[in-house]
Amino acid sequence: MDRRDFIKKGGAVVAGATGVLSLPVLNSCTAETAQAESKLAGKKWMVIDLTRCREDCTECMDACRQENNVAFHGDPRWDVHWIRRATLHPKDQSAGLEEKDVLLMCNQCDDPPCAMVCPVQATYKRDDGIVLVDHHRCIGCRYCMIACPYNARFFNWKENPDWPNKEYPRRSHGVAESCHFCAHLIDGGGRPACVEACERSGERALIFGDLLDPQSEVSRLVAGGGAKRIRADLGTQPKVYYLGL
Amino acid sequence: MDVQFAKIEGKSVSYWVTVGLLAAATVAGLVATLVMNKHGLYLSGMTNRVPWGLQISMAIFYIGLSAGSLVVSGLYGVFGKMEYKPFARIAAYLAMLFLIAGLLSIFTDQGRIDRVFTKPFTYVNPTSMFSINPALYSGHIMICVLYLWALFKEKGTLTKITSLVVVLWAIGTHTGTGAIFAFVPRELYNSALLPPSFVAAAMSSGAALMILVIVSLFRATQRHLDDELIIWMGRRLLSIFIVVTFYVLLIENAHRAYLAYSHEAGLFFLFGGVHSLMFWVGLITIGCVIPAVLLFVKKTGTSVRWTVFASVLVVVGVLFERFLIVIPGLIHPPELFPGWEVTDAVLWEGVASYSISPLEVLQTLGVIGVIGFAFVVGLKVMPLAPTEARALPAK
Repeated sequence: MDRRDFIKKGGAVVAGATGVLSLPVLNSCTAETAQAESKLAGKKWMVIDLTRCREDCTECMDACRQENNVAFHGDPRWDVHWIRRATLHPKDQSAGLEEKDVLLMCNQCDDPPCAMVCPVQATYKRDDGIVLVDHHRCIGCRYCMIACPYNARFFNWKENPDWPNKEYPRRSHGVAESCHFCAHLIDGGGRPACVEACERSGERALIFGDLLDPQSEVSRLVAGGGAKRIRADLGTQPKVYYLGL
Repeated sequence: MDVQFAKIEGKSVSYWVTVGLLAAATVAGLVATLVMNKHGLYLSGMTNRVPWGLQISMAIFYIGLSAGSLVVSGLYGVFGKMEYKPFARIAAYLAMLFLIAGLLSIFTDQGRIDRVFTKPFTYVNPTSMFSINPALYSGHIMICVLYLWALFKEKGTLTKITSLVVVLWAIGTHTGTGAIFAFVPRELYNSALLPPSFVAAAMSSGAALMILVIVSLFRATQRHLDDELIIWMGRRLLSIFIVVTFYVLLIENAHRAYLAYSHEAGLFFLFGGVHSLMFWVGLITIGCVIPAVLLFVKKTGTSVRWTVFASVLVVVGVLFERFLIVIPGLIHPPELFPGWEVTDAVLWEGVASYSISPLEVLQTLGVIGVIGFAFVVGLKVMPLAPTEARALPAK
């Protein structure tokens, strides 16, 4: 191979390799970070006091469905539940433990696996710690549902016929979603719909507030000890705490 | 070694029947995808508890099958076994098609197919395996194209370099595919052994498929193929890949079942339902033990017929393996409250189940149709297959 030949062949290899390698690089140049524009302060927390939660009450779940247009088809395979009740049975009956009810929702992890695996950054964490989904960007790959260790993410398997709250968008089928602490209400100075509903029912089992404010009720409840998080050992840093679990 | 390549004639009735069937499968898959895209993915067998199903299982199966090119390129490009170079074109072409099949399966599985060609390019998430892998796959496809071009034009140095790049890139592709599952906090998914076991199983299925394709192609076109080439691939290569796959699977499952924190999930995988039957019968017996014995025993291992049979078993076994990577980890409930059992409420809590819907089967047939069509037409329009393949005379 003479010099000219070498340059020609070498050039072809380099051109080919750059073409291939530049693909992801070009992509990341145009990538926008969804969080860039938000200047949100604080860290939003929720405390669920199970000792105050009544088994026959569905106020928080109904309010959530009304506020966020969450799809309900009457089939557990495809229904979406941003907040749901489940019953816990002790595996070891001999310990004298009794069956108990628990409310399950998105844990709003501070280190959210769902946002980490989202290929289009449709799921992301805002500066105030709220994890939410951009439904205009989600491609419906469902990797977030795979990655969530809490079964807290849902997919719109079919078109949702109901649209009770016209102020809040309805989702098309084919996108994933989960609880977002009613970020749209928080931005307007409000609180999550479930928290409001729980307070209206007189129970006050759901308490919402800011961790960075030491005077807030959530901070005092968590500082008081006894508050637990679900599978905190996974390192996901859930921001939903439970009392009486 | 002077190798001649020739297009196949492709004028027989059976050729046109094959082309017709593959085209029909493509149309069926397209229709199924359009229907699901219009009405929603509830038409698949997937649910909130099992959000990935047949399409993802098939996608990783196809990606694994593309390793045939890794094997052939490695043989002559890295280990200097020049008698396998005649198969490089067909191997590279097949690898490209299987990577396309993998991407196509993932693509047709999306909830919003309309966004797939824009959003992943504008909003890349470098921490997502679903961002990294498509880049690995499409890069791999481009390398295959360059490689094929170099092979067609008989560019000696470029062929040598690209064969090496193909080997390294393919290992990245298969590792990355395993990482889609391994890097997720689910009890039956997260395992540092999953990416290497994916590579091992990919090389098993890739080598097995290469044997099947080469033998059937040479028989169908009545070209000469030295038995030694196939027997060596079966006895000295495929057999080793099977043993390595088996070994990694053994360690992975023993580790999971042994440790207290994953004990329950590990036993669920091994003895917890229909998937366990797939594991013991489909993967271990059909996919590993029987073909390994067939290849190691001299009488059967030195027969092309038995080698082909063993290869069929390996491909079937790896298909089970892929399904077992995806499904059991999803139907097994995450342990939200250790020591407590979460029972049915509004959501399907406990152990879920998954059954494949007819539309998903049509989608799968469609993807096979697309690449099968491209393969048989490719054989007719491009000089992919050698006119003969002979073993090198013993020194």
